[in-house]
Amino acid sequence: MIWEVFRQKKTGEYHTHCGNVHAPDREMAKLFAQIQHGRRKPTNSLWVVPQEEVGEVDAEETSFGGTTDKSYRWSTAYNIEPPAKEVEESANEQAEAERQRGDS
Amino acid sequence: MNIDEVKERAGPREFNPGDDLPEEYRKAATRMIQFHANSEIMGAYLERPFIRQSPSIDRKLAFSAKVQDEIGHGQFLYRAAESLGIKTREEMLDELANGKGKFLNCFHYPMENWAEIPMIAFFVDGAAMRRQATLKRTSWEPYAHAMDKICFEEGFHVKHGESIMRELATGSKKEQEMLQDAFDEWWPRIIQFFGPSDDKSTHHDFAAEVGLKTMTNDELRNAFLNQYLPKARKYNLEIPDEPRIRENDDGTFEIEEDDLDWDEFFTIAKNDYEPGVGQIEGRANAQEAVEWVRDAIEGDDQPTAGHTPTAAD
Ligand SMILES: [Fe+2]
Ligand SMILES: [Fe+2]
Repeated sequence: MIWEVFRQKKTGEYHTHCGNVHAPDREMAKLFAQIQHGRRKPTNSLWVVPQEEVGEVDAEETSFGGTTDKSYRWSTAYNIEPPAKEVEESANEQAEAERQRGDS
Repeated sequence: MNIDEVKERAGPREFNPGDDLPEEYRKAATRMIQFHANSEIMGAYLERPFIRQSPSIDRKLAFSAKVQDEIGHGQFLYRAAESLGIKTREEMLDELANGKGKFLNCFHYPMENWAEIPMIAFFVDGAAMRRQATLKRTSWEPYAHAMDKICFEEGFHVKHGESIMRELATGSKKEQEMLQDAFDEWWPRIIQFFGPSDDKSTHHDFAAEVGLKTMTNDELRNAFLNQYLPKARKYNLEIPDEPRIRENDDGTFEIEEDDLDWDEFFTIAKNDYEPGVGQIEGRANAQEAVEWVRDAIEGDDQPTAGHTPTAAD
């Protein structure tokens, strides 16, 4: 049985996928995950999830973000000097995400 | 963990559903996050009728996207609250419908015209954003994670809100007057967004000690005024004489508390304020009207692939 492994580096951070392990049950999966994924990389917590329980939808099946122009949804569409630091940070995060999505 | 250990460990994103936390912490966190979630929903319902009244197709698209985001924020937050194990999402939605659930003062007031939109979409969203940015460091990790996503989206709300305000402020004389009228009416409510000053606030101490809140009402109000008073001036809005605001040399502000209507504020806080009661009922009716959809999705007699979904799915 295959178990997908998610590692959290520090308290409060997100568990992100880091690989998978072979194991007959949950206890063994936790043990193998520790050995294979928690030893050298900084680790605060690991999750193990049976691979067959993971549902997936990918970009071939669907169009993430829709098929029409939704630029009005992005802060970059508004030519406005952000009023405050936190708004500017949010706007920068959006600009970065838009750039990574490659539709700007 | 007992409450002293919680206070000792309290820090940004310190506690998660894997921790054994005392009921006192879980109840306080539930109260705070449920209030926040309810506010997202009630704000969306207040704004929703204005999607139709948007003056152009661009505004209509953007404003409906914004309202949709707010409903989504409510969903993230109910999940974060639910993960404390005190109340289910269903219980919280029922409390909101039956008038037990509390929410932000600003969303109890009626809104009549488009010129009022920037009051919510710029000033109230801006105030909320100020507060939410500090909650990225709250001690309940699922709440902080919800804030990451919410703050990511809010930049668009605030900039779009300001764009609407700029359009009105540079528009016809009539538009400028309507904007000023809206501002006169909403300004005291916006100041009250942050609640009474620290010495009168009831829940702050405990929430701060266990790391749920990271800034006081006064600190947040100051930070807000620092950024948003200049913006109001930039659009030639005249700041109402009351509440009187004193600007100190160190960049902080003092509000003459007696200039604000605290009776109204506390009537609102008890869900007893008339327009707000109508808004609660309006949402309750909407919830009832789509009951059949939820039943169809969650009904026990529906065939499900694999295992039975739980309420949280
Ligand atoms: Fe929101
Ligand atoms: Fe918003």
